[in-house]
Amino acid sequence: MTKMEPRDTAIDSLLRRSLAGPVPSLAPDFEERLMREVRQTTRAFARYRRILLTCYGLTSVVTSAVVMRGQGLGWEPIAAMILGPLALVAAVPWAWRATHMTMRHHGD
Amino acid sequence: MDSDSQLVARSQSGDQQAFAELVRRHSGPVFRLALSILGREFVPEAEDVAQEVFLKVHHAIASFRGEAEFGSWIYRITFNQAVNLKARVRFRNPHQDETVLYDAATPEPAPDRRAETAQRDQALAECIRTLPEVYQSALRLYYWFGAGVGEVAELLGIPDNTAKSYLHRARQLLQGRLREKGFFYD
Repeated sequence: MTKMEPRDTAIDSLLRRSLAGPVPSLAPDFEERLMREVRQTTRAFARYRRILLTCYGLTSVVTSAVVMRGQGLGWEPIAAMILGPLALVAAVPWAWRATHMTMRHHGD
Repeated sequence: MDSDSQLVARSQSGDQQAFAELVRRHSGPVFRLALSILGREFVPEAEDVAQEVFLKVHHAIASFRGEAEFGSWIYRITFNQAVNLKARVRFRNPHQDETVLYDAATPEPAPDRRAETAQRDQALAECIRTLPEVYQSALRLYYWFGAGVGEVAELLGIPDNTAKSYLHRARQLLQGRLREKGFFYD
């Protein structure tokens, strides 16, 4: 409660009388509906990100192949130069997970 | 029980249970804050604001660095979201006339007193709507929801003394505006 000047008291009781009333609350299923929406948004966002990354990857591969071919390289070195980094990208997280699991296993 | 910052950290790593717990903790205050800005005739809109706020928070939680309290962050988003929505719905008819809701809240007086009370309440509702958003919100939180000064301050993201002075200033402004309309309460 705030300390009030006497002239504030009249308006204070008027506000108390006039603004008093039932306080609404959120619908009981609010959380459920919200979490459903969150899951849908997350799934849609993940799908969108996957599609975007795939498109980016494919465009990069095709562009690189065309440019390298234009420079006179054969298909074998082109394939090696494209697939090598891809294999590395796939292997690093796998190796990190494997190392992490081993360390945790030894820690137990 | 996990603190907000622990739940935020778990939410950032994709734990939806942790996010649901944050929703459980903050949905009530977020809804009340939105309603205090929009006014009591906009309950469905306040619920929409609460939903949009949590969706925004879920989307942006990875970028939350914890420099401020999670509560302050989410209440600031709520305030902005509700003020923006209010600007959009300002000229639309409410679902229910605010004075009807005021009448429902008060006990049945004698007929002549009833007309006077209705007139006074309508004048008061109109005067409240002319106040700055933070004053309206502070008044509704304090007088309608029965929040203490501390809670008003927390929801509006201001110090306790500022909340007290907002309430004092809002009362002064209301008194002046009611006097202009021919209502005297000195």
